Amino acid sequence: MGTFLKRHRWVTPLALLAPGILWLLAFYAIPAFLMFVASFWSGTLETGFTFSLANWTNYPDAISQFMPFYIRSIVYAAAATMTTFLIAYPLAYTIAFKGGRYKNLMLFLVVAPFFTSFLLRTISWKIILGDVGPVLGPLKGIGVIPQDFHILATPMAVIAGITYNFLPFMTLPIYVALEKVDIRLVEAAKDLYAGPWRPGGLVTGGIFGGVLLSVLGLVFNADWPILGAFGAVFGAVVGWFLVSESFIRVTFPLSLSGVFAGGLLTFIPAIGDYINAELLGNPDTNMIGNVIQNKFLTQNDYPIASALSFAMMAGVLVVVAIYARILGTEELSAAAARA
Amino acid sequence: MTTNGQLASAPISRRRLLQGTALMGVAAFLAACGTKGTAATASPAASAAVPSAASAAGASAAASVAPTATPVPTPAPTDAAGAINWANWTYYMDVDPKDQKKHPTLDAFTKSTGLQVKYQEVVDDNETFFGTIQPQLQAGQDTGWDIVTLTDWMVARLIRLGWVQSFNLTNMPNFVANLKDTYKNVGWDPDGTHHAPWQSGMTGIGFDPAKTGNLTSLAAYFTPDPRWKGKTELLSEMRDTIGLTMLYLGLSTEQPTRDACDKSVVALQKAKSDGIIRGLKGNSYAEDLKAGDAVLVMAWSGDMVQVLVDKPGIKFNIADEGGMLWTDNSVIPNGAQHKNGAEKLIDWYYIPENAALVEDFVNYICPVKGADVALKKIDPTVASNPLIFPPDSTTARLHIFGALTEADETYFNQQFAKVLGVA
Amino acid sequence: MTTANPAQLAAARPARQVIARFFDRWSLIVYTALAVIYLLMPVAVIVLFSFNDPVGRSNFVWQGFTLKYWMDPFGPLGLSDAVIVSITIAILSTAIATALGTLIAIALERYRFQGKGLMNSLIFLPMATPEIIMGASLLTLFVSYGSPPLFPLNFLTILIAHVMFNISYVVVTVRARLAGFPRHLEEAASDLYANEWQTFWRVTFPLILPGIVAAALLAFSLSIDDFVITNFTAGKTQTFPMFIYAKSRIGIPVQVNVIGTCIFLIAVGSVALTTLVGRRKQR
Repeated sequence: MGTFLKRHRWVTPLALLAPGILWLLAFYAIPAFLMFVASFWSGTLETGFTFSLANWTNYPDAISQFMPFYIRSIVYAAAATMTTFLIAYPLAYTIAFKGGRYKNLMLFLVVAPFFTSFLLRTISWKIILGDVGPVLGPLKGIGVIPQDFHILATPMAVIAGITYNFLPFMTLPIYVALEKVDIRLVEAAKDLYAGPWRPGGLVTGGIFGGVLLSVLGLVFNADWPILGAFGAVFGAVVGWFLVSESFIRVTFPLSLSGVFAGGLLTFIPAIGDYINAELLGNPDTNMIGNVIQNKFLTQNDYPIASALSFAMMAGVLVVVAIYARILGTEELSAAAARA
Repeated sequence: MTTNGQLASAPISRRRLLQGTALMGVAAFLAACGTKGTAATASPAASAAVPSAASAAGASAAASVAPTATPVPTPAPTDAAGAINWANWTYYMDVDPKDQKKHPTLDAFTKSTGLQVKYQEVVDDNETFFGTIQPQLQAGQDTGWDIVTLTDWMVARLIRLGWVQSFNLTNMPNFVANLKDTYKNVGWDPDGTHHAPWQSGMTGIGFDPAKTGNLTSLAAYFTPDPRWKGKTELLSEMRDTIGLTMLYLGLSTEQPTRDACDKSVVALQKAKSDGIIRGLKGNSYAEDLKAGDAVLVMAWSGDMVQVLVDKPGIKFNIADEGGMLWTDNSVIPNGAQHKNGAEKLIDWYYIPENAALVEDFVNYICPVKGADVALKKIDPTVASNPLIFPPDSTTARLHIFGALTEADETYFNQQFAKVLGVA
Repeated sequence: MTTANPAQLAAARPARQVIARFFDRWSLIVYTALAVIYLLMPVAVIVLFSFNDPVGRSNFVWQGFTLKYWMDPFGPLGLSDAVIVSITIAILSTAIATALGTLIAIALERYRFQGKGLMNSLIFLPMATPEIIMGASLLTLFVSYGSPPLFPLNFLTILIAHVMFNISYVVVTVRARLAGFPRHLEEAASDLYANEWQTFWRVTFPLILPGIVAAALLAFSLSIDDFVITNFTAGKTQTFPMFIYAKSRIGIPVQVNVIGTCIFLIAVGSVALTTLVGRRKQR
């Protein structure tokens, strides 16, 4: 058997791939193809739909009309991915390196909230952050914030909702990548590059914090230059004090595979998310997923709904292709090896 | 079929008498619901039309909840084996206060007929539910459901598409006898054999008077008053929000035109840009009102009965300009495996005593003659609740949203998508 | 400034080092504690409201303490069935998807072959497909083969759908673990054992186990919480999320909070227990 497998090297990967890929072909690719066909339909539910390649115009029509929603989805998803990363990375780092024997328990605490219902979690947040709830109510009572201030029904609420609900998708891949980092390697690096990473930490932290808060400021129509400056200062301080050279040169590169995996697991589904916008947003925070939902269910406009979905999936494929080309795992491991 | 024809002739002749009176009917049927006289007359007609066993068992079942065992008629031979599957909205069926797992009127039905029922409250949205049965109906397959209960405009769509079956009225003597007259001649189901009204409700102004003061005009939704600016929620159901806006603008909801739709959308967009509107909600407006995140909402009457239990200060008014009236109806989709049983089950709830037991629990408006009389015997407080049995002064101000052609429905939804913020 | 004497410098340095060490030691711990509080806050509310005693049907405003819903956790009709269906499907779909996804991840990460890009697309696309479109087209697929349908809508169709959307998440998570893993261990093993099967079980599998566990956790959380795709593929079967959505307009029964709390406690408790047992064994 061993010699057979050695002679026919293609057999093993094929055998490994076959069951899962067949499942995806049967229950993903075929339905997706049905959807693709539907994007070339014209007609209505009552008169029936007819297929024609001439209906390719569904695509430019749909995309041009709903471009603002695509842009908003990308901005929200990107903002949420960044905030998710900021929360998840230190969390995963602590679990992986300081968790000790409580590693698994801590990991479970990160995921277990997501074993309850999404709706229950959202209701909980609405109770906590309600206009007269336990957080805002007292603050309004003592006059710290104006009476009409609210968090719910704002873009911030939508991004915060996405951030919260996708947190495990960022934390777990980063954790599994960090956990394989050999602690002796880090110790050795600490001997080599003792001390903090200056001025790199200052510059990187400053730029990162500045850009992140500026983008968030733009999204919320807030004073983005002030927010950006604040973010830059905060990032610079964190970078100056907390980021060590060994981390930048060894640990972080080794965890990059997890960071990118987590980024994709967060960003890709977040673009298509509609339910956070529906429950936590207002009519001006709808994402492309809400449009597709409305086109499909309310207007029964299956061709346009399908075209909108396929356009979005095509965009995501481009992102994935870039990911595979530039940051492909082979290159990543090579980078790690160099470090 | 011949007996069917004979029985069916009664409503047809009545319909002829009522031809052209569809619109004024709204007020009339609600008035009927609230007064003893008209309803009581139904009983003799019912007993005359009913072939003994079912009605007798039904009456006793309803009166005592635990009926004496009746000889079980064999189920119709055309039905497949297994239970009758009914998809309904949540909290739309009476529940045994001692055991939440039991629906007494359904248990009584099973005892009386020997037919099992699998009743599931799985509908949380007309459109979402339609999405889950549409491919089957399109492909000519069984949806798995024998009865589905959906709102009138969605039922109109299903009938338009030819996806629901006509009732065999020999199975439904109580339906024939006890359906309130004004439900009978709707434009989208001319012979009245495709749908059976289950519950009706009103759409009006819900508000927290402690925050907003008393509100009686729809103008509130369009006035940027600091008391409710940014704390106002409309309904994501197009016919409710556009309907109330049309009433505010003095336009007809019974004959909705594209022009009226455009004017309403302009008014709603103005209200949004004025910062009055916090959102358009389908399911969560009641909780937002209770939590204080909203102080002014468009609300459904039955929900408000529940809200009042939780937060007694809340008020519900049918505005001076008017309110909307809608109905959820039971239909039998194509391919149903238990059509005979489904018909008997629908009919079961046209026995006034059974309808009264449901009404006591669901707090909406019933379409069954005599249910109010029966309910007064069980629970006088509910029978005197103006949200459940609205007075004439209220019912006179209610309007229905007229039927739309498919093209118009698409147009209305496209325009309303702008208000929803998805276009 | 430039004329500061050495003594001043000597005094300043320890102070700065103390601050730096303080930061180094505590910032991560404080940050993590805050993050965990943030994660668990909604759970705390869910637990709290499982003891609420609402007057009406809505469980949204605190009214008073009661244990009566804990005494009757499966009170409402259909709740127990829905919970059992959801947990069964979550366990089965997690097991199947984790197995299939791990195999794909190994193949993609460890072997060279044609069409890798295509495979990558097939892995990532399901995550990018709007749920409603995927649910609807899956339903169309299920009902369009055979009469009566080859796939009658039931438990099995839900399971098929859940495995389908879980596979991608498993593949990506396990690959994050496999990426850049020292291959020489496996090569050494295969030189010694000369059997791919043994190499896998004795070397590769233990190495990637944390990745597999993490992937399984993700898959479980996705499956037990899915509403949209399930709603399309469920037929007459009702799952826990479907039960909650159907009830959401007027009020979610308190028992739903009780069940939510129980699922959380059982999950965390069992892991805490194994941690403690493992500790005792070590002694």
